[in-house]
Amino acid sequence: MLETNTLEIIIFSILAAFMIGGSLAMITNKQTVFSAFGFLVAMLGLAGMFALLDNRFLAIAQIMVSVGAVVVFSMLTILTINMKEKSLLVEPDKFKWIAFSIVLIAPFTYLLYKSLSSTALKFSTSIQTFDTKAVGHELFTSWALPFEMVSILLLVGMLGSIVIARKKKEKR
Amino acid sequence: MLSLIVILPFFSALLMALVYLQDTSKKRYLFFTFVGVGTPAFSSLLSLYFGYMLLNGSETIHTTLFEWISIGEFQVSFAFMADRLSVVMISFITVIGTLIHIYAAGYMRDDGAYGKFFSYFNLFMGSMLLLILADNPIMMFVGWELVGLSSYLLIGFYHTESKNITAANKAFMLNRVGDFGFIMGIALLFLSLEGTGFTYESIELHILSIDHDTLTLIGIFLFIGAMGKSAQIPLYVWLPDAMAGPTPVSALIHAATMVTAGVYMVARYSFLYEQIPDVGLFIAYIGAASALFAAIIASYQSDIKKILAYSTMSQLGYMFMAVGIGAYSSGIFHVFTHAFFKALLFMGAGAVIVALHHEQNIFKMGGLKKHLKLVYITMFIATLAISGIPPFAGFFSKDAILVAAFSSEHYLLWAMGSLTAGLTAFYMFRLLFSVFHAQPKEQHSLVKLPKSMTTPLVFLAFGSATAGFLGLNAAYGGSAFINNFLNLPDVSHHISHSSEYMLGALNVALGVSGMMLAYKMFATKTQELNADTLLKKVVINKFYIDEIYEFFVLKPLLILSRFIANVLDPKVFDGFINLNVWGYKNAATLFARLQNGKVRYYALYILIGVSAMSYYMIFKLGGL
Amino acid sequence: MTPDMFFGLASVLFSIGLVGIISRRNLFVVYMSIELMLSAISLILATFSKLQGDAGGSVMALLMIGVIASEAALFLAMIVHLYRDYRTVDSDDFDILGSADA
Repeated sequence: MLETNTLEIIIFSILAAFMIGGSLAMITNKQTVFSAFGFLVAMLGLAGMFALLDNRFLAIAQIMVSVGAVVVFSMLTILTINMKEKSLLVEPDKFKWIAFSIVLIAPFTYLLYKSLSSTALKFSTSIQTFDTKAVGHELFTSWALPFEMVSILLLVGMLGSIVIARKKKEKR
Repeated sequence: MLSLIVILPFFSALLMALVYLQDTSKKRYLFFTFVGVGTPAFSSLLSLYFGYMLLNGSETIHTTLFEWISIGEFQVSFAFMADRLSVVMISFITVIGTLIHIYAAGYMRDDGAYGKFFSYFNLFMGSMLLLILADNPIMMFVGWELVGLSSYLLIGFYHTESKNITAANKAFMLNRVGDFGFIMGIALLFLSLEGTGFTYESIELHILSIDHDTLTLIGIFLFIGAMGKSAQIPLYVWLPDAMAGPTPVSALIHAATMVTAGVYMVARYSFLYEQIPDVGLFIAYIGAASALFAAIIASYQSDIKKILAYSTMSQLGYMFMAVGIGAYSSGIFHVFTHAFFKALLFMGAGAVIVALHHEQNIFKMGGLKKHLKLVYITMFIATLAISGIPPFAGFFSKDAILVAAFSSEHYLLWAMGSLTAGLTAFYMFRLLFSVFHAQPKEQHSLVKLPKSMTTPLVFLAFGSATAGFLGLNAAYGGSAFINNFLNLPDVSHHISHSSEYMLGALNVALGVSGMMLAYKMFATKTQELNADTLLKKVVINKFYIDEIYEFFVLKPLLILSRFIANVLDPKVFDGFINLNVWGYKNAATLFARLQNGKVRYYALYILIGVSAMSYYMIFKLGGL
Repeated sequence: MTPDMFFGLASVLFSIGLVGIISRRNLFVVYMSIELMLSAISLILATFSKLQGDAGGSVMALLMIGVIASEAALFLAMIVHLYRDYRTVDSDDFDILGSADA
């Protein structure tokens, strides 16, 4: 299916450009809100990637959670902090650090890629969509325990964030 | 039983030390006298008992107390051995020692540190007995060191005057130089024996397995130790200064016992020295030179104790001459007789000094023969003995040595020995006549002497008179009892009886002529010494040996020590250590800056590690 | 479209996230870089899930998203707390551990 492949490659490239561009913007911007925007773009790209992998459920879940909840929440916090322009961070060595870190991490990236691709597998030509039904079936049968634990984790996270962020009534 | 002879004096020394330290102001005269004199008396009884047993044909007696060192081949046990040589030595040492202890009880009566004195004195007795009764070279060395320590303690007994301390230090240091040689000798002996046991008996068995050159080296090293301990040239300079100690100390240590330890050592190692007659000859020449040298110096001294000190050195030279040429029994026999008359002379001198309120210059004394009759008679007997006039003891022992020298064709040694004999008679009678006969310049009032000081003199005089008959050799009708009993590997030479008589007569003639010369010069009026000629000046100043040592040996050592203490130690060694400290401090400061508390940097460090590993994996291990 | 492309993309995203953690001092950027790293891992999981035909990988990725959400809440709560006490979101200002009286 040559056309499918070419189309998929084009779509993949566009989405990849979005993701990488967005993440690069995220780590190089001085203003926090702009970084948050870059992050948002990257998350949307990721959702598209999930869709490209025929994984409908994950794509929608990603949009709902990562984009809808996380990014919005981050924006909210950033705006709550409400730092003025003049009290923004000055990071003079930002690019030096980035360059140095890229040099350090390059081999690791290469190794990671090599180790993953050494499995030498190919996508099966049959389209196997993971829709909600398939995921749900797994979720409630063989993955029931992790599911429960993650729900507890979310509960604890909620409580924890309340405890950490509340104002102390009495003086320490 | 045998070990009691050594252990009792040590124990009593400890006991007296503890009692003394408990309250140093209390005199406790009775207690210290009883313990201090009783212990050597008991040891002497035990020694005589063992002598009697060995006399009646018993074999060598061994007693082992415990295993002391046990490291591989180096096995040393704390053991004692009573063979014929040691039993002869301990017999006269303990008996004469007891007499001197009795004398000291009278001499030191008014001294405040009476208990300390007897504690040290008994420590010395124990050490000397340990040295003699030791079964192996290491135990003997322990005794050797301990007698050196006791000597130091006793010389510096009047420690309030700094010159006494200097004298004590000098004695100990020169002793130490000798001990260095001794240790090298023992170590070399042990190494060359290669693990065949280290007691005297086992060494004697294996002595032939050591090659000749090593034996020569060992012999020389051991003799260096004897040079220090027995005051031979060149390590003798401590002996005259050691007279700063109390007179009983001089009598016991520096006349009768400690200084003879060197001679005993050579006799003990006779099985070694008979293999190396060249070293023996060297020893003999050193002995003869020391004897002559000391006799010359003694002829011009005016302090009574210093004269006797040089006389001791001279007689020790005789003993070394004897053991050097292989006449071991004659040497030990001379040790035996010399102990009697030298102890007597020192004690008599001490009596004179005390009687004249601590006057020590013989030219300030005179005419005492009327007032100190007993002392005079006993000292006269001793002087006759030391001058070699028969039938007193010194004649037989000295004669035996000179005959041995002549008959083994060492004529130079014989000539030096005979000349020294003449000089000995001269300066000893000079002492006697100046003290007792000559007209005094001024009259002194005399202190009354206690009986404890005068009675031992009588016993020793008896010994000086008769001890010679124990060693009578065949020519004079005796059976050479001591020589046969000692059973040492003597080098024997045959000489006709007539030659022996002639040599004996020559000795007597020399002695008598010395006595006559002294009588003529000193008996009538006290003659002061004056240093008119250059020769006299040199001799009176003891040939300036002390000054030479000070210039050539002490000064460079002091300069070196100052250099090390002021330059080397603080700048080089400390500087090196400070450099290390500085390096560590700076490195630590550098490393401390890595931990600045910022998490970002810590993450960077993790990344650096991972990155290094990744680079290594890619480039060295060829990718994945 | 081969799996290698996805793997390559995920590796690059992971590295970018790691670079962001180390280089930036702004706490928000650090947080978002962490999220980026986690998302890259989710991508790898989803890829493997499709490769093996196993739904388990997708489930894992889903649970990862859940964990991401919880972590977001806690992280942002911490930032609010720190800002209230120290008035700064610069990570270099929190260096009490480096001084002598930690």
